[in-house]
This record gives sequence, C-alpha cells and structure tokens, in this order.
Amino acid sequence: MIETTGTFEFGAEIKSAPYLLNESSADAYRRALDSPPRRRPAKNIHTDPAAASRAGFTAPIAAGEQTLAVIAEFLAAKFGARFTRGGRIEVSLTRPVFYGDTLVSHAVAGRKENGAQRLDIWVENQIGERVLEGVARVRAEA
Amino acid sequence: MSEDNRIPMKAENLREGMKLGPLFYLVSAEQIKKFRAALSETGAGAADDVTVPPTMRLQDYGLLIATRFKGGQGGVHAKHWCEFYEPLRAGQSIRVDGTIIATFRKRGKFYFTLEYEQRDAESGVLLTRQAITSVLLNENGEMK
Repeated sequence: MIETTGTFEFGAEIKSAPYLLNESSADAYRRALDSPPRRRPAKNIHTDPAAASRAGFTAPIAAGEQTLAVIAEFLAAKFGARFTRGGRIEVSLTRPVFYGDTLVSHAVAGRKENGAQRLDIWVENQIGERVLEGVARVRAEA
Repeated sequence: MSEDNRIPMKAENLREGMKLGPLFYLVSAEQIKKFRAALSETGAGAADDVTVPPTMRLQDYGLLIATRFKGGQGGVHAKHWCEFYEPLRAGQSIRVDGTIIATFRKRGKFYFTLEYEQRDAESGVLLTRQAITSVLLNENGEMK
C-alpha cells in the first residue's frame, strides 16, 4: 500500500506503508537471494552479536541492501517502467537498521529536466531517524 | 578437484582497476516469487512473476567478489547507486562483470567501490549498471 499526499508535482511527497524489518523478513530476504549460493562468514554482523560488536554495533544489523531494496521496490511499485526502464537511484546508508525496526520510505518530487524527474528520497525508522538518504530519477510522464 | 587460486579478501589485496567475474546465471521464476514475498509490504508483490524486481540481483557484488577473493570478515554497506535500463526476466541468462574503481581510507576505515553491470548473456544488451561502496572489515572484524 502506498500513501500519497496530493498530486505528484514539485514539492509533493509520497510515503510507503510501514515495513517491519525483523529477523523473519530478513530470513525471507536472505533465502530469496540464495541462488546462485553466496558465501559468507558463518558468523557475521548480520547474524552474530559478537561479530556485530567487533564492528562497532550494539546488536546484529540488517543488510543495507535490504533497506535499499525496500525503497527501490516502493519506487518501482509507484512509478513502474518510468523507474525500471531508465530510472536511477543513488543512496547513502546513514544509520544501521536493527531487527525489529519499522521502515517507511519517502520521496519528494524535485525538478523535471531533460525528460526526467528528480526525487529526494529517504527511509526513516520508527523514531524518525533517517537510515538511508539519497536521490532517484524517474522518466518524466509523457 | 580444481585448485583455488583466489586471494585473501583484505585491504592490501584490493586495487583499483581489478576486474571481477564474469559470472553467469539463469534468472529463476521461483526466486522472483520469493523475493516479492519478502518485500510484499513495499508493493513489490503487485507485479508479475516473470519480471525481476529492480533490486533482486543487487547482491551480485558478493558473487563477483567470491570469483577472485576468499575469506574475509565481510563489510558494511555505505553507498550504492543503480541505473536501470531494462528489467531482467525469468528464464533469461545473465552475465555479470565488475571492476574495483576506487579504494581509499577515510577516518581510519578502508573503503572500496565495486562497479558492476548485468547484461543479457546472449545478446549483450545492458540491463543494469550499479556500484557499491563498502567499508571492509579487517581480519579481526573491525572497521579499521
């Protein structure tokens, strides 16, 4: 489900329904990526409290690519081929996501130029911290 | 059994210009279904089971790294960009190639950027181009 606020003109914002990134959804995500099989350290920052601690985190963290997938799939659902054929996304993962965090994706319409519309995008956790920030580009509507 | 000629995954072995891959795989409809299910709250479940969601093969960077490197403690995802040209489709054969385009230290952490692209293995048509920047964990699992 996608919530919108008005028409998607300059300055308008859309936001996603909440996505609960818990151990169950992380497992489902990992299982979906296991073909071809990917080798990882048996104990890593995503699964092991000690490994997470050595890397400087207070608890195991979710894979950054899952947070990126959450907002990219939201944009794909909202903009369809305008995003999946000729679109672009560029992000920084600004804070760790911990299991149990609830993520909401946001996009604000920017200027249209050269046949594309810029979007300022971010993902917030349940306490309003931005865990991902960046920009996206979709093809402008014909 | 073939000999493993891969080198250890550590900062001193990562150099700009290193080519990784190619690797090849066939896109599976089953994987599309699983991926959409894992992300259904985002709206990803609304589309068909033939067209690959744009980020489903984002993790090919890990497979590319494993073609040349072994071991290591993993890394922390810092930045990523993706350009989507044409969606991948179930049953399609894919070729993936990558290049390490940057290595640098910042605030005591070692970063590297791997740029990679997916093409139709038969026609050579470009499907996706992307780059990941990661902090490499050292042999003790620390961000140093």
